[in-house]
Amino acid sequence: MPGRFSYDNRSAAILVFPVLAVLLVVAAFPILYSFWVSLHDIVLTRPLRRPFVGLENYGRMLADPRFHTAVLRTTLYTVVTVSVTTVLAIGVALLLNENFRGNKLLNALLLLPWATPSIVNGLMWKWIYDPTYGLLNAVLVQLGLLESYRAWLGDPDLTLLLISNAAIWKQMPLAALLLIVTMKAIPEDLYRAAKVDGANVVQRFIHVTLPALRPGLMLVLVYETMISIRHFDLFLIMTQGGPGDASYTLSWLIYVETFRSLRFGTGAALSYLLAMLTFLLSWLFIRFLGERRG
Amino acid sequence: MKSELTRRGILQGLAAAGMVAPGMAAAQAAGSLNFIGWSAAVDQVKAHISAFERDTGVRVNYENFPWAQFRTALVTRLVGNAPIDVSWVSDAWLPEFAEAGWLADIEDMPGLKRYNAEAASYCTQSMVYKGKQYGLAYYGDHMSFMYNTDVLQKAGIAAPPTTWDEVVEQCLKIKRAGLMEFPLLLSLGADTWLIEFASALAFSFGGSFVDDKGDSVMGAPGGGVVAAARFLHDCIHKHKILSPGAVETVELNGLRAFGSGAHAFTIEPTYRIRSLNDPAQATAHGKIRPAMMPKGGANGTHDTCGWIRFYAMTPAAKADRARRERAVKFIEYFGGRDTRGKYSLQEMLLLDVGLPSCALPLTEDQEVKTFWERWAGGGDIIARQSMSARKKDVISPWFGEWVETSNQAWQSVCLGRATPEAAMAALGNKWNELKRAFR
Repeated sequence: MPGRFSYDNRSAAILVFPVLAVLLVVAAFPILYSFWVSLHDIVLTRPLRRPFVGLENYGRMLADPRFHTAVLRTTLYTVVTVSVTTVLAIGVALLLNENFRGNKLLNALLLLPWATPSIVNGLMWKWIYDPTYGLLNAVLVQLGLLESYRAWLGDPDLTLLLISNAAIWKQMPLAALLLIVTMKAIPEDLYRAAKVDGANVVQRFIHVTLPALRPGLMLVLVYETMISIRHFDLFLIMTQGGPGDASYTLSWLIYVETFRSLRFGTGAALSYLLAMLTFLLSWLFIRFLGERRG
Repeated sequence: MKSELTRRGILQGLAAAGMVAPGMAAAQAAGSLNFIGWSAAVDQVKAHISAFERDTGVRVNYENFPWAQFRTALVTRLVGNAPIDVSWVSDAWLPEFAEAGWLADIEDMPGLKRYNAEAASYCTQSMVYKGKQYGLAYYGDHMSFMYNTDVLQKAGIAAPPTTWDEVVEQCLKIKRAGLMEFPLLLSLGADTWLIEFASALAFSFGGSFVDDKGDSVMGAPGGGVVAAARFLHDCIHKHKILSPGAVETVELNGLRAFGSGAHAFTIEPTYRIRSLNDPAQATAHGKIRPAMMPKGGANGTHDTCGWIRFYAMTPAAKADRARRERAVKFIEYFGGRDTRGKYSLQEMLLLDVGLPSCALPLTEDQEVKTFWERWAGGGDIIARQSMSARKKDVISPWFGEWVETSNQAWQSVCLGRATPEAAMAALGNKWNELKRAFR
């Protein structure tokens, strides 16, 4: 009597099982456990009490003014970072997609910011913006564009944009590379046909390049959004959420709630809210930019 | 034969692993102690640990973490029941740690409590929570007002200011002389020092954050805290003697900036005066001197904010007789006198890194007097200022949560985003909310 599963299926199951077990331990369990934690009022400095509060942590955070501020800051930061990164990446990809002398060297140089560790990137830009001996002040003053040194990161109207600039510098190269790969796959015939039809450079870009870039653009938008919305390291190094609450983003709020206030329950709830927001945005991008079949 | 050898090999391996692995339990049985601290004065601490091990035969397992991460690292270890015997603790954490049951009191340890007779009273008070004392001091310090003698001389100023109004006047004079744009330097970046700076300023304006019952008075209109906040706002936006960049200047960067000679006045922890006058560390070396904290407004005082860090024992160590004996020996050797009857670590910490001690007998020590003479032009001002140092009145079980809001409130005032009255009233409301929530 033949078994329900074939020999191949059983072998495959046995071979996959160790990986599955590891995934369950290192991925599934923490995810489920953190959700369980988010349903409790856990404050590490009060170890004797950890009552089950259901969804109260979620309600409390949603009503917290700090959460509203953090959502606003995160949205602004994400919109600026993702849009500027994408536009710059398209420009760089268009440039590097052309054949010219030094193209390979530029391609290699492009990788430098991306290869720089985030901590180093944050420290580098913090020094560039420094109010006393920063490069930005020195350059602007010497060019006569600024009268005296400014505290760039101390200006709450500029802080988020300046952090965003540091993020764009690091993230744009990878986005450009992803788009270059997509551009290389566009058939040359399409451009020739467009030229025959009398399309100029701009028209060829709008009607040939952009539609063909859709898969690459979707990848860039989803990836950059997921990275930006959860960005933490630059905020830790450059401003610590300040000045005041000028760079108080969701990831910073999670850090403060979890590791400074040691409120693991609300910290976990916030993490879930951030995860849900990330999934929602990613789904929207895939839904509207994904390849349409049929 | 082969299988027997293999089994023996395994057993030998296990035995060896048991001997060399950092198994705390085994090590404790052999007379060891686990001590955790932050990464400060590491060389001095290690040297003293060697001396302690030599004198007592107790082996010390010493772990240290950066200060910025230390509280979280310590809490996670305490929650996880890590076998810690003695830890450095900040006075700011005492109430929440004591409430959590992570620290053992030393009320029944007369051998340790006898050192209170030789300690500055604010130091001892900083280790007391709900009438019980929780350790012996590692060091005690206070915020000092410091000035650059060179700048004052160039501006034709004969004596350092004694009130904050005089600070403003002298700063404006220095500015008018074209010596510098921002004569006053205050590190108001959102790091762990901000509350000490804010407290020192508030105390000098005759203010208190809370009353005797622990209820918030920080938002009281006309109170010292609001006046201090108003002063900061005016220094930045009205007098323009303090850089708007102060909100992104953390204490360490402030120290470097003041050491460069680019400012005339600052507030710094007293222990920094050594590095500020050290030719290897500061351009303005030899020119930095302490003065009494200026008085602010009509109700002003020369009071400043004092703090201590101390050695505390865990309840697990106290509960075990052998561990308790070792911990008591360690705390006495490090926080009191060593086996030769000397405050040797306290003296070494002062002479090597400038950390002031809580031990009063050391003030009469000739080497200590020479130290203050060399690095601060004498120890009189520092001694007088330490007598008017006040413990932070906001230390409470909810301090860790409240201080985040506090940092934001002070920065909002400096940025001109909130009036001092509104910011401090909101801060007071947060205090009351956390106090109510603490059950």
